[in-house]
Amino acid sequence: MSEPILKLEKITKIYPNGVVANKDIDIEFEKGEIHAICGENGAGKSTLMKIIFAIENATSGQIYYKGQPVHFSGSMEAISNGIGMVHQHFMLIPSFTVAQSIILGDEPKKGMFLDNATAIEKTRELAHKYNFDDIDVTAKIANLTVSEKQKVEILKTLYRDAEVIILDEPTAVLTPQETDELFNQLRQFKQMGHTIVFISHKLNEVMDISDRITVIRNGHTYGTYQTADVTMEQLTELIIGRKLDTDFDALKHPVENAKVLLDVKNLSYKDGGVTKLEDITFSIKAGEILGVAGVQGNGQEEMVRDITGLIPHQSGTVKIDGTDISSMTIKKKRDSGLSYIPEDRMEDGCTVKESIADNIVSTFYQKPPLSGKFFIHNREILKKGRELVERFSVKATSEKDKVGSLSGGNIQKVVVAREWATDPKVMVAEQPTRGIDIGSASYIHEQLIDMRNNGAAILLVSADLNEVMSLSDRLIVMYEGRIVAYFPSLKGVSESELGLYMLGVQKMDPSVIKEASYE
Amino acid sequence: MDGILGSIFSIDFLVVVIRVGVPLVFASLAAYVASLVGLSNIAIEGIMIMSALSGVLISAFTGSAWIGFFGAAAIGIFMALVIVFFSMRLKADPIMIGIALNLFATDFSVWLMLITTGTKGMTGSLPSKVLPTVHIPFIEDIPILGQLISGHYLLTYVCVAIAIIIWIVVYKTPFGLRMKACGLDATAAESVGIKVNKVRLIALILSGFLAACGGAYLSMGYLSFYSDNMTAGRGWIGIAAAAVGGGNLGIVLLTTVGFAIAQAIVNMLILTSLPTDLVNTIPYICVLIGLVALSIREYHARRGKVK
Repeated sequence: MSEPILKLEKITKIYPNGVVANKDIDIEFEKGEIHAICGENGAGKSTLMKIIFAIENATSGQIYYKGQPVHFSGSMEAISNGIGMVHQHFMLIPSFTVAQSIILGDEPKKGMFLDNATAIEKTRELAHKYNFDDIDVTAKIANLTVSEKQKVEILKTLYRDAEVIILDEPTAVLTPQETDELFNQLRQFKQMGHTIVFISHKLNEVMDISDRITVIRNGHTYGTYQTADVTMEQLTELIIGRKLDTDFDALKHPVENAKVLLDVKNLSYKDGGVTKLEDITFSIKAGEILGVAGVQGNGQEEMVRDITGLIPHQSGTVKIDGTDISSMTIKKKRDSGLSYIPEDRMEDGCTVKESIADNIVSTFYQKPPLSGKFFIHNREILKKGRELVERFSVKATSEKDKVGSLSGGNIQKVVVAREWATDPKVMVAEQPTRGIDIGSASYIHEQLIDMRNNGAAILLVSADLNEVMSLSDRLIVMYEGRIVAYFPSLKGVSESELGLYMLGVQKMDPSVIKEASYE
Repeated sequence: MDGILGSIFSIDFLVVVIRVGVPLVFASLAAYVASLVGLSNIAIEGIMIMSALSGVLISAFTGSAWIGFFGAAAIGIFMALVIVFFSMRLKADPIMIGIALNLFATDFSVWLMLITTGTKGMTGSLPSKVLPTVHIPFIEDIPILGQLISGHYLLTYVCVAIAIIIWIVVYKTPFGLRMKACGLDATAAESVGIKVNKVRLIALILSGFLAACGGAYLSMGYLSFYSDNMTAGRGWIGIAAAAVGGGNLGIVLLTTVGFAIAQAIVNMLILTSLPTDLVNTIPYICVLIGLVALSIREYHARRGKVK
C-alpha cells in the first residue's frame, strides 16, 4: 500500500473545561479513496475535522500530510495545502453570484481590479470539468436549491485545488435522487484522484458510498474497516455501543375506539400572492402517526406554522377533537390540546440562555402547582424539571443547567419533555430528530410511539425519509404546497417510489388523495 | 413665495446644496463603509464633534490649518480605533461603545472649550485657521459651470474624490468583494481565509477619517470657529442615509443629496418670516420619511419569506 495522503497519529483534544473530545485518534486516509467517518453526534467527528482543518488545535498528537508532519496555523494554510471542507452549514452569501462565491478570497485580478470576466470564465470551466454543468455561475446564491448550493461549496474547494475534500453530513439536506447524484459525482472525483472524507451518521449511505469506514465513539476510534467486510448491524453496534431496535412496528399497539383528533380541511395559504399551500385536507385519529414527506420548502413549513399559529391563518379549518382552532391564539390552541416540537430547536424550540427547568415549564407554568394566584413557585418548577430530566434521561449535571450547555440530542429531549408534559391530544413534530445522535433520536422516536400508543394523534413532518417511513402509520407527500400522494399503509413502499412524488414527477389521482381525510 | 421658488431654482441654490451637502456626504460615507464590513459605527456624530473642535484648537495653537486638519483626522481615527479595540479585543457591543463615545464627545467638548476659551458657547475668540478654497483656473471663468465646480473648499473636492474611490474599491476590486463578504457573513468570509478583523480595521480607520473630515469641514471651512452642538445631528443623518441605502452606495449618496437639498431649503426659508424652529425641523422630517420608506421596503421584502 502506498503512503497515506493524510495520516492522524494519536490525536487528542482536551478542552480547557476538561471535556475530552478526542483521545488517541489514529486514522490513515489513502489517496483516491472515499473514507467515511461514522459516529453519533457528539462522538467527536466534528472536533476531529476541525483539527484537520486547523480551526482548532490538537492538545497532542501529530498530523502527517503527504508523508510530512504538518502544523497548519489556520484553515487558510490547510486550504492552500490542498485540503478542502464542505461545512454542514453552507458558508455562502445569498446576495453573491455563484462565481463571486467561488472566487472569494482568491480573486482573479486585472491590475488592481477584480476581473469579473475571467472569474466567470474560470468558474464555468471548473463546473464543466467536474460535470456540474447545471450550475449557472452568474446566478445569485439566493436563487439556488439546496443541492445546487452544495455543489457550489464543492466547487469552492475544487477551485482551490483541493486534493482531500471533507464533506460534513452532506446528505442531511438532500432528497434520495439528489443524494444519488452527489454520490455519482463523489465516485467521479475518486476516479480523478481526489480523496473524499465523508462524515455521516446515515449508515445506509455510508455503506453505499465508502471504500473504508472509521468508527468514532466517545472520542475514541473503534477501528477502520473495509466497507465490504462489515454489515450494517455490526456497524450500528460499533457506533452506539449496543444493539438498536429499529423495528417500531413491534412497539406499536392499536388504540381502541379511536376518534379523529386532528382534522384539517381545505387549508390554503398565500404569501404575497404566491400560493404556498393549496387545499390541504387530511385527518389523524387517536393512536396514529401521519407522516409528511417532501423536499423542504414545499409547503410543510407553512402547513405546520399555520396549524400551530405561527403565521396568520387564511382559509380552511383546523379542528382538534371537533373544536375549530384555526383562528385561535397560540395559547388557546395549546389549551385545546395542541403540542409542537419545532424544527429549529435553538431558535424556536427553547431559550438556550435559560435553565432546563425553566424551559421545560415554559408552556404550562401558569397552571398550579407551578403557579399560585400571583406568584410562580420556583421550588415546584425545579421539582418538575428534575422529574422530567430523569424521565427523559437528559444528560445534564442538574435541572438548573443552561439549555445552551447541552448537546443537540439533549436539547431536543428537553423540548420533547416539555411538549410531552402537557399530555397533548395532537402533537405536531417537525423534524424532531434533525441533526441529533442516533441514541437520542431513537429515544425520541420511542417517546413518540409511546404517545401514539397512549392515544395521541401525531403529525410527523420530516425531510429524513427513514424517519417518516419507519414511524408513520400513514403517509402523505407534499409537493409545491399540495398533497400529491397518500399511502394508507407503508408496507412495501420504497424510498425511490416516494422520491418520484417528492420531486413532482408523479402525482396520485385526487380520489386517492382525498382518502387522507376520514370524512 | 415667488422669491423663494425663484431662489430654489437658481445656481446659488445648487451652490448652497453643495456647501451643506459635503459634511452630510462625509457622514454617510463614514457610516456606509463601517456598516458594509459589519461593524457599525454609530459614533459618527461624536467623532464629528471632537474633530471639529480639535481642528479649531490645534490650528489656533499651531497657527497651521493643515496641522489642525491632520490633528482632527487623527482624533477621528483614534475614536474609530476605540470602537475596533473594544469590539474585537474585548468583544463589546459596538453600539454600546458608539453610545459611550457620543456621550463622551458631547460633554468633553464643552469642557475642552471651557478650559481653552473660558466660554461654553463657541471658540470665536481663538485665532483658528481655515482650510483653503480652491479656484480652478479657466473653469472658474466659465459662467454657471465655473460657479458650480470651482471656488469650493478643498475638502469639497476631497469628498468627491473619496466618494469615487470608495465606489471603485467596493464595486471593482477584490478588497471590495471581501468587505461585502465580511459584512454579510463573517463566518463565510473567514472560511475562505479572509482576515475579517483586518478588513474591519481598515474600514473603521477610513470611517473615522471620513467622519473627522465632516467635522473639520464644519469648523475649518463652512465656519471658522467651533460652536457647541455645531454638528446638529449631521452624523445621525449620515447614519440614516447609509441605512436607507443598505449596501448600495448609489442609493446612499442619492439619499444624502436629498437630505442636503432639504437642508438647503431650510437655509433659504430661515430668511423668511416662517418660524425658525419649525423650519429647522425639515431635514429631520425628511430623515424620518426616509427611514419609514426603508422599513416599508424591508417589510415587503420580508413578506416574501415565511420567517
